[in-house]
Amino acid sequence: MRKSLVLITCLVAALSAKEIRVGVVLPLTGVTAAYGQSALEGIRLANSLQAILQNGDKVNLVVVDTKGDKLESSSAANRLVSQDKVFGLIGEMTTANTLQVMRVAEDNKIPLIAPAATGDRLLDKKAYSSRVCFMDSFQGASLAKYAFENLNYKNAVLVLDQSTDYSLGLARAFEKEFNAKGGKVLKSLRINSGDKDFKAIIAQIKGLNPDFIFLPLYYSEASLFVRQARNAGLLTPMASADGVADQSFIELAGSASEGYIFTDSFDSHNPSTKLSKDFIANYEKAKGTKEVPNFTAMGADAYFVMFNALNACVDNLTPVCVNEKIHQTINFEGVSGIISIDKTGNATRSVVLKEIKNQKQVFKDIINP
Amino acid sequence: MDSTLFLQQLVNGFSLGSMYALIAVGYTMVYGVLRLINFAHGDIMMVSAYAALFCITSLNVPFLGALSLAMIFAMVVGIATDKIAYKPLRKAPRISLLITAIGISFFLQNLFNMLFTSTPKAFLPPAYFEELINVGGISVTFGSLLVPLITFIIVVIVLLILYKSKYGIAIRALAFDVQTVNLMGIDANRIIAMVFALGSALAAVGGVFWASMYYSITPTMGTLIGLKAFAAAVLGGIGSVVGAVIGGLIIGLTEVIAVAFFPELSGFKDAFAFIFLVFILLFKPTGILGINFEKSRF
Repeated sequence: MRKSLVLITCLVAALSAKEIRVGVVLPLTGVTAAYGQSALEGIRLANSLQAILQNGDKVNLVVVDTKGDKLESSSAANRLVSQDKVFGLIGEMTTANTLQVMRVAEDNKIPLIAPAATGDRLLDKKAYSSRVCFMDSFQGASLAKYAFENLNYKNAVLVLDQSTDYSLGLARAFEKEFNAKGGKVLKSLRINSGDKDFKAIIAQIKGLNPDFIFLPLYYSEASLFVRQARNAGLLTPMASADGVADQSFIELAGSASEGYIFTDSFDSHNPSTKLSKDFIANYEKAKGTKEVPNFTAMGADAYFVMFNALNACVDNLTPVCVNEKIHQTINFEGVSGIISIDKTGNATRSVVLKEIKNQKQVFKDIINP
Repeated sequence: MDSTLFLQQLVNGFSLGSMYALIAVGYTMVYGVLRLINFAHGDIMMVSAYAALFCITSLNVPFLGALSLAMIFAMVVGIATDKIAYKPLRKAPRISLLITAIGISFFLQNLFNMLFTSTPKAFLPPAYFEELINVGGISVTFGSLLVPLITFIIVVIVLLILYKSKYGIAIRALAFDVQTVNLMGIDANRIIAMVFALGSALAAVGGVFWASMYYSITPTMGTLIGLKAFAAAVLGGIGSVVGAVIGGLIIGLTEVIAVAFFPELSGFKDAFAFIFLVFILLFKPTGILGINFEKSRF
């Protein structure tokens, strides 16, 4: 009798269980594809770990490729909102494309969580958008502080990509903090996304002979730069932010990447929470390696925060409620560490510093806010 | 700006410029015989870079073998482009040819986008490309010396073909007057196919060098390089092979020198190259070795 009751309730639950859709907008092809692919793996794995809400409803993902393009990002988000009726959006990876998705989210009052867009002013006057990563200024400033205090570099040269918000924001924050500490930025040299030849700039930097070079670039440019620099005999220590936190950087830079440091938000060798350990164990089962890429962890956290918010709203599931709950996230023990999201949608979290040794990313230090 | 720095930048400019020059020669030759700006030329360079990558990674061909195969492949693509897309339009207005060329360019880019995705593919050059050579305080990679050297040799070979061989005479005659060439019993289409083959082979060398110097290739890599090479050909005087080489070197050097003299404006180095182009054309409307097309003979 008891058994059949359970069965019946299960059946009823199964029959009445609805499908809750979450839209995922990522660059799966194109120049930034490596980031998107990484994040998608994390989101998919997270979804396979936690998909059933308290009331038995199932969270399903609807994934769309943006090709790393602004227009595609915007139309993908529009399609998810109007056709697929998603309750929340996760995505894009870069700041510029996330802005496009955000516009759609704000217009339609659908909560958006960005896994990796670190642009400083991204969330200004935004009610329906939040993120699980830190913001640029925080990364740039943390690195400036660390370079001056811990590594004793007194002057630096910046090489920034004038065509990306990401690069400009990081460079500004680094310079501000570095100057405030008493360091000196000798020169800021500018490049454009897609540039291949940095030999001219490298020759100029050699003439300046700085202690340190900060390169707030994405991996395709940064890898070319470091390789050409080492080939030109420029051996100055170099650092980037999380734009190089991808295996592609090491593949493209080869042995020139030795000793390169960069800031990141997560280190798979030092999981700090229970969820993190579980996730890594599951990732290993699926992939055969414990090395969870940073963006995979960030993607997973974006999903988990979204899932928890959905869960907190099961009685009356509306995007507005989900959005409210996301903004009330406090000390959530995620895959990439402990995350709090405030009213503005910005996350407070620690920064991890990594170094590349023998073509591997190695944990170097942790910088707390 | 001390002298070692200047020398260093000079080497940088030459290696960049000679790659533009290799592509520019193809532009200029096709223009000479067909009066067509072959906008698919940059994409032929891209196609050959992928061919070389495929040979190296999938077939384990050594670098030089891959380079030769890429050249042959580029020739085939170049001749096929002419046969399929341009030949039926020999009598059509020139603007139709131009549009067709742009169409071919998009076709090749999208085809390779489908085959290889738009994600950059790593291209591993042979180790000697990155050997460091120190000369009087400047250190350069062997690659950046090798590229201008090979370019020089190839251009000399092309000039020899043009001026010392039977086919060269035919090509120059064709550039001079198509009708008369036909009357002389020369098959104009065969000569045009030869020009495409020659230009494409040079583009292949440029493409493989480019990939070796910058370690990664994408389906859209031909666009900007092609545009700059075209600018180089115009700058040198379109229709002139030597002019194309000079133009290529000037564009490469301008980019580098712009960074050297105005480091704050280094992000605008592409603009500098084109501003310089406009500047030259104001004074020499037909380019540096400006050819009067009424009497064109390469």
